[in-house]
Amino acid sequence: MIQGTAAVAIISYKEGLRQRLLYGAMLLAVGIIFFSVLLAGLFMRDIAKITLDFCLTAVNLGGLLVPFFLAVHLLARDLERRTVFTILAKPVSRPGYILGKFCGLALLCATIMGILTGATVIALLISKHLYAAVFFQDLSWPAVFVSVGISFLGIAVFIATVVLWSTVTTSSFLATLLTVATYCVGQTVGDMVHFIASKVPGVTITPVVAQTVKAAMYIFPNLAAFDLKLAAAHGQLAPLADILFLLAYGVAYTAATLALATAIFQRRDLT
Amino acid sequence: MDIVLTHVSKTFKASIGQRPVRALSGLCLEIRRGEVFGIIGRNGAGKSTTLKILMGFLRPDQGEVLLADRPPTDPAARNIVGFLPENPCLYDNLTAREHLEFALRVAGMSPRRERDRIDRALARVSLLEAADRPVRKYSKGMVQRAALAYALVHEPDILVLDEPMSGLDPLGRHLVVELIQEYHAEGHTILFSSHILTDVERMCDRIAILDQGQLKTTVTPDDLTGIADPAGRLSPLEHLFLSTIQTEGTPQP
Ligand SMILES: Nc1ncnc2c1ncn2[C@@H]1O[C@H](COP(=O)(O)OP(=O)(O)OP(=O)(O)O)[C@@H](O)[C@H]1O
Ligand SMILES: [Mg+2]
Repeated sequence: MIQGTAAVAIISYKEGLRQRLLYGAMLLAVGIIFFSVLLAGLFMRDIAKITLDFCLTAVNLGGLLVPFFLAVHLLARDLERRTVFTILAKPVSRPGYILGKFCGLALLCATIMGILTGATVIALLISKHLYAAVFFQDLSWPAVFVSVGISFLGIAVFIATVVLWSTVTTSSFLATLLTVATYCVGQTVGDMVHFIASKVPGVTITPVVAQTVKAAMYIFPNLAAFDLKLAAAHGQLAPLADILFLLAYGVAYTAATLALATAIFQRRDLT
Repeated sequence: MDIVLTHVSKTFKASIGQRPVRALSGLCLEIRRGEVFGIIGRNGAGKSTTLKILMGFLRPDQGEVLLADRPPTDPAARNIVGFLPENPCLYDNLTAREHLEFALRVAGMSPRRERDRIDRALARVSLLEAADRPVRKYSKGMVQRAALAYALVHEPDILVLDEPMSGLDPLGRHLVVELIQEYHAEGHTILFSSHILTDVERMCDRIAILDQGQLKTTVTPDDLTGIADPAGRLSPLEHLFLSTIQTEGTPQP
């Protein structure tokens, strides 16, 4: 099982890299360094904040390329084009296939985000060298890295949902559509719940209802919750409890989603 | 027995506005160790469906399938089988060599230590020169050859090939015939489907004729010697094939 999973992860990773992905990431990285240094110079205030905000957004966007473009290519199209037979004709179990694909995708995401984080560090160091040190008083490296790590976890959750969609649908077009829908829901579910919860002046809501509404926030993949960019830009490390909660939530959500995907895929006829 | 199918039925569920298709009904097959077994039948007879059920890609609605005494869903069963799908699809951006490395890795071997195993498989299908080019730059026949090498690189006991000759040039066809004969000589079991009756006639220990998802008849080369085309134009197997299928009437659309 582990052998098969690792092998599937490796060839998915290779196939993903061959999509000229790394070139794109490198290009983006150079762009980040260049623009953030330039941009911060134009503003001449809050340089560290602006640089970080810009860079961390770019890191996140770079990571999102994987679920949006590569995941559907590597999974839904794999099933559509029947390249899946190539793998499943070998001693790879179906859970091994799903898990291997997920690991390959997560690895690709980690690669891109790693490169872009490197670019962020370089951009910050250059800025620090060029501009007044006063702007960098609040800069907290741990906050930067925690933000990137949590952002990666959020994208991993998203990738797991894309894996699920790819196993339930038979067309890559539908899988793409569901992916986009998931992203929209994931970005807004938290806000919506807050909105509903606050829109009751004078009305007392029972704790049961309040808890249900709050739970809904986490039943859908609450992707917005994994965004710690603002705190990082202000040089603040999120409270440990929050970090641990996100960690547990992300891992549990990913595991549950992949388990569901596997259960569905086990029953599926591959034609 | 290396391969056993007992009373296997499969119906493809209908999508909207279409009728369900009964691809196999009550198919029974037993293939012994060391046998070369050919399945023939017209387009849509159920040959590929049979082989896909055997590999665990499709679940039969009824019946039992055993691959070397294991259910096909057991990954260990697939460790001793090499499978060539019809119209094989490999990964466009990977090379043939990378595919074979993957095959060895999942079979529990180290691709680095088993380099000569990979070279041997590639040489067997005359693909050594193109081995390090991405599959997207292959011709159809080269993809077929790469897929063949992929199926047999781990030297499995059982080979299951779905139309192995399709898309190959005369050299390639000859190569497949030789390969099957070599494999047979080593005592392995081979199950394949084909439309090229002369090859089937030449190589098989037993031949099954499938029609509309049912086994019409199984013949051995000895049985064929007793059959002759009255007009004298067809080979014994061609004659048997046509007469078996024509007596069943109802040509399919
Ligand atoms: N995915 C599918 N959905 C619906 N029907 C299918 C599907 N796959 C095969 N069939 C039907 O099952 C029957 C058997 O198909 P199969 O592919 O096994 O034929 P075959 O003997 O391999 O034919 P060929 O010689 O053309 O390869 C056909 O009637 C076909 O239309
Ligand atoms: Mg077929």
